[in-house]
Amino acid sequence: MKRVILLFFLVLEFKADLVLEITESASKPVKIAILEKNSNSLVGQEIINVISNDLKRTGEFRVLGMDELLSIPINEDEVIQRDWLLLDVDSIIFVEVQNEDNNLEIAYSIFDISYNETEDKRRVLGLPDSLRQSSHYVSDGIYKYFYGIEGISSTKLMYVTRNSDTHKLIISDADGFNEQVLLKSNNSIISPAWSTDAKEIAYVSFENNRAQVFTQNLATGQRNLILSSKSSVSSPAWSPDNKDLAFTSTKDGNSEIYIINLKSRKITRLTENLAIDTEPAWSPEGKKIIFTSDRSGSPQIYEIDVRTKLKRRLTTEGNYNARASYLDKDEIIFVHRSKTDFNIAKLDLGSRNLEVLTSTKNDESPCIAPNGNVIIYSTKDGNLSYLAGINISSKVSFKLPALYGELKEPAWSPFLR
Amino acid sequence: MKNILISLFSIFIIFACSSTPVEKVDVQETKTVDLTENTQTDSNDSVVMSDVDLGEAYVTVLFDYDDDTLKEESLEELFAVSRLMKSNAKYTLLVEGHADERGTREYNLALSERRAKAVEDFLTATGVSSFNIEVVGYGEEMPVDNGSNETAWSKNRRAELFFIR
Repeated sequence: MKRVILLFFLVLEFKADLVLEITESASKPVKIAILEKNSNSLVGQEIINVISNDLKRTGEFRVLGMDELLSIPINEDEVIQRDWLLLDVDSIIFVEVQNEDNNLEIAYSIFDISYNETEDKRRVLGLPDSLRQSSHYVSDGIYKYFYGIEGISSTKLMYVTRNSDTHKLIISDADGFNEQVLLKSNNSIISPAWSTDAKEIAYVSFENNRAQVFTQNLATGQRNLILSSKSSVSSPAWSPDNKDLAFTSTKDGNSEIYIINLKSRKITRLTENLAIDTEPAWSPEGKKIIFTSDRSGSPQIYEIDVRTKLKRRLTTEGNYNARASYLDKDEIIFVHRSKTDFNIAKLDLGSRNLEVLTSTKNDESPCIAPNGNVIIYSTKDGNLSYLAGINISSKVSFKLPALYGELKEPAWSPFLR
Repeated sequence: MKNILISLFSIFIIFACSSTPVEKVDVQETKTVDLTENTQTDSNDSVVMSDVDLGEAYVTVLFDYDDDTLKEESLEELFAVSRLMKSNAKYTLLVEGHADERGTREYNLALSERRAKAVEDFLTATGVSSFNIEVVGYGEEMPVDNGSNETAWSKNRRAELFFIR
């Protein structure tokens, strides 16, 4: 019996932590079939399987299974248009795989049923061990063809898991595979953030019994303490050009926002107020920073011009608005308390229109995918925290339940291309 | 490895000339840092707080939601701490601030530190030297009650006072 249990845990260790469930699909998903062209290889099926799962996971595609098809063409010439019109299929994706000479090549074409012709043709090149990642590139190409928005299947997610006293900072592919532990600690890890070139990360670790910000090189594991202080240092945010890191510290007696130049180590203080100032986030062009401050008596979002230090208050609705980030230069998302629940909300900076986006209960740590269209956040059901997300344009919602322990603090990678 | 790279590169060039758009896939390597096996930190300039087994808190004071104001009912105990510290300058106090799980982690970190600071401010106002008080905020990271209800939250919004010497 003991052996069986041990084996079970071993399996769990290798299995992907993130299993995505669509909680609400798009009202009219694009209906497609994905077929291997001129062949039926094991590698081809594996690749088609990855692509199908990627597209299904968006909630915006309906990928037909082989048993649902009326005919199975092996190339464009064999497509019987009538069969596919009957099934109301939009397009067939033909995938052709060449796996030789130490490289993997996936060519794919999008065959439009109503036009009865090939509309788009592309190739993805990789090494044989990059089968999953190469397939994700294909998924992203297909996604962009149909929706005009960059796909995010080839991106990565960073998150924190907690299992009793073990805290892990992990990155995995967007589909939960290829999980890699970046940091394992007996103390809390919060606020992970990707540098915009995806080569480094920053996070807050409590390993020395107080909040400290570290940066860590992903390839080498080399860590740097950002600021040696007897006070807490937290909430790191990379500037869009990766030259500066904004952070919060109480080093001058009160929670204030600072910017450190990572090369010269020069520190600039941005806020001077007796209230809590924290959670800085950079505007897309790096000229402004939004942050949370309770200077009005309750936490609200403010914007400060990094150069002129001119400030303005952005949120006015509600008595709790915090942890904001820019969706684009005209819109921000943040944690908003509506009645008793904490939800993710969006504010249009021009019209000042506030829209509550989520309906779960204790939502926090919202983070935007690099295509600007999907928000992932952490939420709680009972004592279990897990990740959930929403697609802004299609309203698809999904969740990534924790298989064990807690799953929290999501951070979406930039595009890795 | 170099050979593979070169061949891959040349293939890339060949395909780049053809009409179909080509994308090259890059796989990134990562490395794990494990702090649980090795307790020493690799940064030599890090500030390590007095690392002693603190045991039970000497005094715990509770706070209201999103608030760092000391409650009247806490003052009697804090006066007792103050008297003790003034009678013996050897005592050093560690004040740990905490928050409940509601709201954002970073805001709660700042809020918890303010709660600890409120205790420090009270004690220094009664004549204790701030030199003998260490303040730290743990945000919502170390709840005493894991529940998601008002009973749990009210226990978690707290400052814990420990004598460390």
